[in-house]
Amino acid sequence: MLIWFLPLFLVLLMLGLPVVFGLLAAPGLLLILDGSTRDLAVLYRNLYNGMDSFPLMALPFFMLAGEIMNRGGITTRLVEFSQAFMGHLRGGLAHVNILSSILFAGLSGSAVADTSALGSTLIPAMEKNGYSRKFAAAITAASSVIGPIIPPSGIMIIYAYVMGESVAALFLAGIVPGIMVGVGLMVMVRLMADRYDLPKAERIVTKNQTITALEARVSFVLIRINVAGLLYAVFAGIRAALSLDINLNGWLIFLVFLPVAHGLMLWLRASVSDDFRLVCKKAVAPLQTPIIILGGILVGVFTPTEASAIAVAYAIVVSFFVLRSMTFKDLGPVLARSALASSAVLLLVGAAVAFKTVVSLSYAPQILTELILSLSENPLILLFLINILLFIVGMFLDAGPAIIILGPILGPIFTELGVHPVHFAIIMSVNLTVGLATPPMGLVLFVASSVSREKVETISRAILPFLAVEVVVIFLITYFPAISMTIPRLTGFVQ
Amino acid sequence: MALLLGVLAPLQLFNDVVLRIGRALAIAALALMVCLILGQVFFRYVMNDAPNWTEEGARFLMLWMTGLIAPMAYRQGGFVAIDMLERALGRIASALLTLTLMTLALVVLIYCVQLGWSNVDSLTGRGKSASLRIPLGLLGGEDIRFRNAWAYTSLFVGFVLLTLVNIELMIRQIVTLLGGESRLKPLHDGDVARAD
Repeated sequence: MLIWFLPLFLVLLMLGLPVVFGLLAAPGLLLILDGSTRDLAVLYRNLYNGMDSFPLMALPFFMLAGEIMNRGGITTRLVEFSQAFMGHLRGGLAHVNILSSILFAGLSGSAVADTSALGSTLIPAMEKNGYSRKFAAAITAASSVIGPIIPPSGIMIIYAYVMGESVAALFLAGIVPGIMVGVGLMVMVRLMADRYDLPKAERIVTKNQTITALEARVSFVLIRINVAGLLYAVFAGIRAALSLDINLNGWLIFLVFLPVAHGLMLWLRASVSDDFRLVCKKAVAPLQTPIIILGGILVGVFTPTEASAIAVAYAIVVSFFVLRSMTFKDLGPVLARSALASSAVLLLVGAAVAFKTVVSLSYAPQILTELILSLSENPLILLFLINILLFIVGMFLDAGPAIIILGPILGPIFTELGVHPVHFAIIMSVNLTVGLATPPMGLVLFVASSVSREKVETISRAILPFLAVEVVVIFLITYFPAISMTIPRLTGFVQ
Repeated sequence: MALLLGVLAPLQLFNDVVLRIGRALAIAALALMVCLILGQVFFRYVMNDAPNWTEEGARFLMLWMTGLIAPMAYRQGGFVAIDMLERALGRIASALLTLTLMTLALVVLIYCVQLGWSNVDSLTGRGKSASLRIPLGLLGGEDIRFRNAWAYTSLFVGFVLLTLVNIELMIRQIVTLLGGESRLKPLHDGDVARAD
């Protein structure tokens, strides 16, 4: 009897029942029909226990940090920074859009936030510079999927929790794939630039900028600490690689590197214009966020949840005291938005945990495994089929719910076939995030449409070349595990 | 129709008021959660003494945050669903489908309310937390240890409120079906943040 709950669930879902109720109704109904009403209490307890989780708390916190950063005028700074670097290329503002998405991805874990924040700034700017509106909206939507691939990432926190993987490993595994999507899109823009004669922009360095004395000082200190830290990391790497026996206090070495970093900055400073320097300086404080998050997790000083709380604190300090772009009054709505969005997701995750226990009670995984293995026993072919399945699912369902439903069903099958769980997690995450931008039901398409006031259908057609690039990247990630697995392996988060 | 609107008005008012209070409490809970976890890091590295209650306290708050604000998210259409079929159908068919689905959701919610209550009123619910307590000891009294039921109640309250919202949405749907859409007050001001 229990075997019917998966088909039942799918029917309920297709009819349009909210996913969270479907996740509870399908197994619940069958338990009742089965006469095991006693197990309903177990179902409920799993729903509760599923939500009562510390790792999951990173979700509301990262959302909050992203919201604060967004409200605090940080988007404009990132865009200006990207312009200073890539504005002069053919199809300049399209490149700027992609680079901004990559940078923004380090602050937020959500494609929707990325589209609405960058879209509202960049789509009008691109139109003014001679791009068609549909092209601007399409590139914004296409590049925003980088948001949940580069850490922090909402769906990776969810996946790691539901599947019992390490959030840190997943975060680290997402870095290279995220950058690959970005680079792939840039190559596509470059190709299109010749064909469609995209406008060339001058290197746009916003002139006559001002910076407060406090922020100038903060940036001054931060950049030197970061460069010194980077030099230290390189030094430590060389020392480990050559197994040199240098027994010096780590802090001492770091202190030695500080003046070196300062010298380096002075040298760089001489080679750029004042305006360029100022634009870069104003990007230092926002871009410190990903460094704090990843640095803290990598060094092992805090857990991802603690890192997310620190990201919130940092965002508050930066936007209240350094940039002075937020006031206490703005905090309420920002908190409310994060609480609203994360409550829906937390409930969903709890329901998924309840659903998962019934999945394992039934013989569904075994039957599905047999079914899948009867198609082929070659993992490479199966992965190809899964890519297609996920792509189709992604067309209709948001990434979060999709990963919650499919993870527990598909994950174990492929782990058994020898695919590394972290690798599989990345395949699923990237695949389903790209699904956020695929027609007909891609969530970011709708957001891009409402930001740009261009019809969804029009954006859907304009986005196709970019989707093609993303599909290629998905296949690369699928068939070359090294792309995602190298960083977590090197840092020891995956054996 | 008049009867429906007559039932709807007080329910809507009730939900308006209660959910607004819930929202305010959820905001406070989220802010406190951040403070607790920051405190945890601070105490561990600066004071070299990690308190054992911050994590559990933050989880407690997160459960209450969810229970108190999830109903508002549902009311504003923040629960993900595939609405393709609904869009494809005509006005009446689509309204009937929505109503059927909402009835199903109502059944699920009523079960959840029942199960939620028996969970609160269970043996484990009467159990006490190992680390969370109200420190009356500081005032010379005896510490009161948190009961598990205090945390269990969060989800129970959440489901009760979700049920009320669901009923409200159902009545609105019936009114729409009968052609009284123009007489309904709008429920929200538009933007619901999404986590994807």
